[in-house]
Amino acid sequence: MILLSIFLALVVMVCLNVPIAVALALSAVLGLFLTEGPSSLVTVALDMYDGANKFSLIAIPMFVLAGAIMNATGITRRLIAFVSALIGFVRGGLAMVSIGVSLFFAEISGSAVADVAAIGSILIPEMKKRGYGSPFAAAVTSSSASLAIIIPPSIPMILYAVSAGTSVEQMFVAGIVPGLLGAAGLMGVSYLFARRYNLPVEEAFQLSRLGSTFLEALPAFALPVIILGGIFGGLVTATEGAGLAVVAAMLVGLWYREVDWAQLKSAMLEGGMQTAVVMLLVAASVLMGGYLTRAQIPQEIASGILSLTSNKYLILLVLNVFFLIIGFFLHSAAAIILVVPIIVPLIAQAGIDPVHFGLVVTLNLAIGQQTPPVASVLITACSIAKANIWDVSKVNLPFIGVLLVVLLICTYVPAIPMFLVDTFYR
Amino acid sequence: MRAIGRGLGEFLSWVVIALMVALTAVVVIAVVYRKLGASLSWYDEVASILLAWITYYGAALAALNRSHIGFDDVLRLMPVGARKVAVVVAEILVIFFFALLAWAGWKVLMVLQGMSLISLTWVPVQLTQSVIPIGAALFIVAEILSLPDYWRDVMAGRSTEHAPMAHGATPDGDPGNGNLTNGGEGNRS
Repeated sequence: MILLSIFLALVVMVCLNVPIAVALALSAVLGLFLTEGPSSLVTVALDMYDGANKFSLIAIPMFVLAGAIMNATGITRRLIAFVSALIGFVRGGLAMVSIGVSLFFAEISGSAVADVAAIGSILIPEMKKRGYGSPFAAAVTSSSASLAIIIPPSIPMILYAVSAGTSVEQMFVAGIVPGLLGAAGLMGVSYLFARRYNLPVEEAFQLSRLGSTFLEALPAFALPVIILGGIFGGLVTATEGAGLAVVAAMLVGLWYREVDWAQLKSAMLEGGMQTAVVMLLVAASVLMGGYLTRAQIPQEIASGILSLTSNKYLILLVLNVFFLIIGFFLHSAAAIILVVPIIVPLIAQAGIDPVHFGLVVTLNLAIGQQTPPVASVLITACSIAKANIWDVSKVNLPFIGVLLVVLLICTYVPAIPMFLVDTFYR
Repeated sequence: MRAIGRGLGEFLSWVVIALMVALTAVVVIAVVYRKLGASLSWYDEVASILLAWITYYGAALAALNRSHIGFDDVLRLMPVGARKVAVVVAEILVIFFFALLAWAGWKVLMVLQGMSLISLTWVPVQLTQSVIPIGAALFIVAEILSLPDYWRDVMAGRSTEHAPMAHGATPDGDPGNGNLTNGGEGNRS
C-alpha cells in the first residue's frame, strides 16, 4: 500500500515536470515519513551527502570535461579530415565519415550528446550542402553518435557499474565488439540509402592525402591509446584514466595551438553542470535505495519474478522489453539510476552475468536515445539539422533496426560481448 | 530580479569552475604520486568531497538554467489553466524538498560539531558537510529567480527541455536568450 502510494507520487511528480531527481527524493521522503515517522527525515541530509560523495563516480566529470576540451581544441575537425580521406570515396561518403568519426570520438568522450553536438554541427550542414536530405543527415549522425555509450569510455556504463556493484573496466571491454558490430551495420544501411538516392562520393582515394591527414590527426589518436591502453593495461584505474584524458586533451590542444581560454572556461562549466545534474540523480537514488532496501523491495521483486519463471533467457527478454519502453520516456542516466539497483538481486539470482546484463542495458538505452518523446541525442541532431523530429524518426527506423539486431545478438549470444572480457579478466 | 539572477549565476559559475579545476588537479597529482610510489593518503577522501561540492553548487546553477532532467511532454499537453496549477504545485514541491534538505542538513551540522576528516585532521567535517544546507538554500533561491522565465516558456508551450542546441553548442554561436552560461542542457548521457 505504502509502496503503491510512493510509486504513484513519483509518476505524478514526473508528469508535473518536477525534476526527476527531486521527484525521486520526495517519493523516498514520503516513504520514510509513512513508515519510520518524521524523526527519520534527518537521514535525508546524510543520504543525499553520501550519495554525492562517491569516489567511483569521479570518472564522470573527468570524461565529460575531456570531451568538452576536445571540442574546444579542433580535434574533431582533424578527425573528420582523416576519416574523410579514408572512406570518403564510398558512395554516400559523408554518411560513412559521420559513422567513422563517431567511432573515434566515442573512444575519448563518454557521452553521445557530446558526440552528436560536436560531429553534427560540422557534418550535418556539409551533408545538406552536398544534397543529402536533412532528415537523413540528422538520422545517420544521431544513431551513430549513440554508439558512444556502448564504446568505452561511457558515462552510462560507469553509472551502471556503480549501481550494480560490478567492474567499470570489464563493462568497458564488453562494449568494444558490439560497438564495432553496430558501426558496421549502420554503415551497411547508409550504403543502401546512398545507392538508392544516388548520394555523392567525396574526393577520390589518395594515399598521400590519407598520409597527411593522418599525421595531422596523430595527436588526437594518441588520446584513445593513452586512455584505453592505460585502463585496459591495468596501469591506471578508470578514474585515473579519465583524469589523464583531461590532461591529454589539454596537451593536444596546446600542440595544435588552438586552446581557446573562453571555450575552455565554458567547457569546465558545462562539465561541472552536467556532472551535477547526473550526481543529484545519483544522490536521490541513494536516498530511495536505502529506503527500498530496508523495506526489502528489490528482494521481493526478485522472488516474485523468479516464482513465475527461472529461465534466464525469458527474464532477459522481459527486461529488454521493459528497458526499451522506459527508453521512450527517460534519459539513459535516469533510467539506469532508477531501475538497476532494484533489479540487481533478480539478475544475480537468475544467474545472469552482471557485466553482460550491463552491456544489454546500455545498448538498450542507446536505442532509447533515438526514440522520442525523450530522445536527447536525436533531438540534438534534429535541432542542428533544423529538421522535424518525426520526419527524422521515419528515416531513422532502419538505423534503429540495426541497433535492435545488435541488441538481440548481444543478449542471446553472450560470447559476443563477453569474449574479450573472459580473455582479459577471467 | 534578472540582475540578481545574473549575479548568482556568475558567482555559481566561478565556484563550479574552481571546483572542477581543483578536482582535475587532485586526480592528476594523485596519479603522478602513485606512479612514483608514494600514494597520497588524502586523495580518495578529498576527491569525493570535491565531487559532492560540484554536485550541489552545480545543481543550484542547473536550477537557475532550468536544466535538470525532467519530462515535460505531459505538461505541454495540458490546457493552460491546468498547466498553471501544475507549475505552481511542482514549484512548491521542489522548494519544499530543498527546504527540508536545508533543515536536515543544518541539524546534521550541529551533530557533527568537533569532528574532523580521517586523512586531514585539521579539516572539520562541518566544513565539508556545509555544502548540504548551503547548496539547498542556493537551490531554492535559484529556483525562485528562474521561475518567471520558466513560467513564460511553459505558458507559451515552449519546451524547456527539447532545445539542447539553444545555447552555445552550435558554431553559429549563442543566440543570447538571457541564459547565463552555455550548455544549459544537463541531459547528456
